[in-house]
Amino acid sequence: MTSGCPALGVGLLRLAILGTILLLWEALARSGLLFRDVVPSLAKIALALGHLGTDPDFYRNLRGTAAEVGVSLAIGGSIGVAAGLLLGGSRLLGKAFEPYIHYLGPTPKIIFFPVMIMWFGIGPGSKIAMGALSCFFPVALITAAGMRQIDEVLIRVGRSFRARPWQMATKIYFPAMRYPLLNGLRLGFGVAVIGVLLAETKMSNQGLGFMVMQSYSQFDMPGMYALLLVVFALAILVNATISRLGGLDSTQH
Amino acid sequence: MTGGSAGEDGSTVEAAGGTPVLRVENIVKRFVTDSATVTAVDHVSFTVAQGEVLSIIGPSGCGKSTLFNVIGGLAEADEGRVVVEGRLMSGPDPAIGMVFQEESTFPWRTVGDNVAFALEVAGMARAERTKRVRHYLELVGLKGFEQHHPAQLSGGMRQRVAIARTLAFGPKVLLMDEPFAALDEQTRLLLGDKVLQIQQELAQTTLLITHSIAEAVQLSDRVLVMTYRPGRVKRIVDIKLPRPRTAEIIGSKDFGLYVAEIWSDLRGEASLGMKDAEAHLPQAE
Ligand SMILES: Nc1ncnc2c1ncn2[C@@H]1O[C@H](COP(=O)(O)OP(=O)(O)O)[C@@H](O)[C@H]1O
Ligand SMILES: [Mg+2]
Repeated sequence: MTSGCPALGVGLLRLAILGTILLLWEALARSGLLFRDVVPSLAKIALALGHLGTDPDFYRNLRGTAAEVGVSLAIGGSIGVAAGLLLGGSRLLGKAFEPYIHYLGPTPKIIFFPVMIMWFGIGPGSKIAMGALSCFFPVALITAAGMRQIDEVLIRVGRSFRARPWQMATKIYFPAMRYPLLNGLRLGFGVAVIGVLLAETKMSNQGLGFMVMQSYSQFDMPGMYALLLVVFALAILVNATISRLGGLDSTQH
Repeated sequence: MTGGSAGEDGSTVEAAGGTPVLRVENIVKRFVTDSATVTAVDHVSFTVAQGEVLSIIGPSGCGKSTLFNVIGGLAEADEGRVVVEGRLMSGPDPAIGMVFQEESTFPWRTVGDNVAFALEVAGMARAERTKRVRHYLELVGLKGFEQHHPAQLSGGMRQRVAIARTLAFGPKVLLMDEPFAALDEQTRLLLGDKVLQIQQELAQTTLLITHSIAEAVQLSDRVLVMTYRPGRVKRIVDIKLPRPRTAEIIGSKDFGLYVAEIWSDLRGEASLGMKDAEAHLPQAE
């Protein structure tokens, strides 16, 4: 993606892939092989997208979900970073706690949803709890790993110049960990979205997940696909923004 | 031709002339591992006079870096003490500036901000900081590179940034642990010349740890030879070559004699170290 000519080639290829998928989709929609509207035509989806764009309900639900994701990322992310710093900084704590986090991390958090409903109710509280819980684990693990990756000599440089703990944190630890932290944030965001949306589809009264389930139960397939497209687009947008924050694409480091 | 008296008995070895700035007295450092206790540094004593360059040379694993960390205050000695201008050191101290063997510039900071690091930590005002940074970058020959990032520089230039960063806060003693070890031969020679020039310009009291005999002879007023495990002072050799130490001097007969003399001291220790390394080979992780 760096030099001019191959970049153009890759770009064209990507467009071609997208075009092929859309074509196949449209062909399938028109073939009549599948039950009505299971695969709606592109025109219908576009129309549904247009409806969404003018639907005040959609914006209300979008705001609701965005707020839930934002709050769960803030809560789960900051607790995750704090826990990761503790685990990465202390060999004893790391050894004691990490197996739990490691094995709990990949378990589907949705099994805790009933508990969250009991604790936080059917409203945004339980969705935020799900998002925060999902986001905590990858952020904690990546932060701990990032902390251990810090070039040890840089810490000795800081100590030799008598940097105070706060200066060590802001001038050495955090900048040295910027890529793992950013990656953690990105991963954490991804799973927070999953946690929140999944919870919304299970039991809720608002949010994009709720709208998707509503469209589904009314067999409004174009509307459902339009919603999914919106969720995709938003997720990509936020991911790209987080990557930009680091100045560089974090996968390069 | 041989200089100051020194022995394995651990007697204090006084600086040749002038008042000692740095006094290292009877330093002992042991490492306790599950299997054994290793005495890395065993009753090492010496002094370094104002403006003097003292090199410490010894085979790999003889305790040079351990001594470096103890003198710099990053590791605590089991016995002995370090005194700078009559003040007892405890922990890292602005009187001693360390330059590390490893690549140690901050990759996320520009060259200028790297050099400003210690000043920033000490809370110096920005205007004063900028002035100092400019001065020391010029001193190490990196004028005009302030806005570059370390990744854009060569290894030798990065090591000069590290040296400028340490010199910028004005330490009484410059303490360097094999600062040229990671560099190729030509860069090492050029950087050696540069350090020599800076040292003379600032009359900087310097303690240089190295494993290169030629480097030690070229740069130093005295060379301290360490024994291999436990690391003791084997001998201190006065290098009475005229300054400036130009290319002609390096090619001279006297220079060769000093190198040969130090090598004869070092050779036994180095082969001990090699045997030790070979003996440990099968169990190596
Ligand atoms: N943290 C440590 N724990 C245990 N042994 C150590 C430690 N650091 C150094 N040593 C041992 O002390 C000896 C001296 O090491 P070092 O000072 O690094 O030597 P040098 O710098 O001369 O190569 C070596 O035998 C090394 O294995
Ligand atoms: Mg060493």
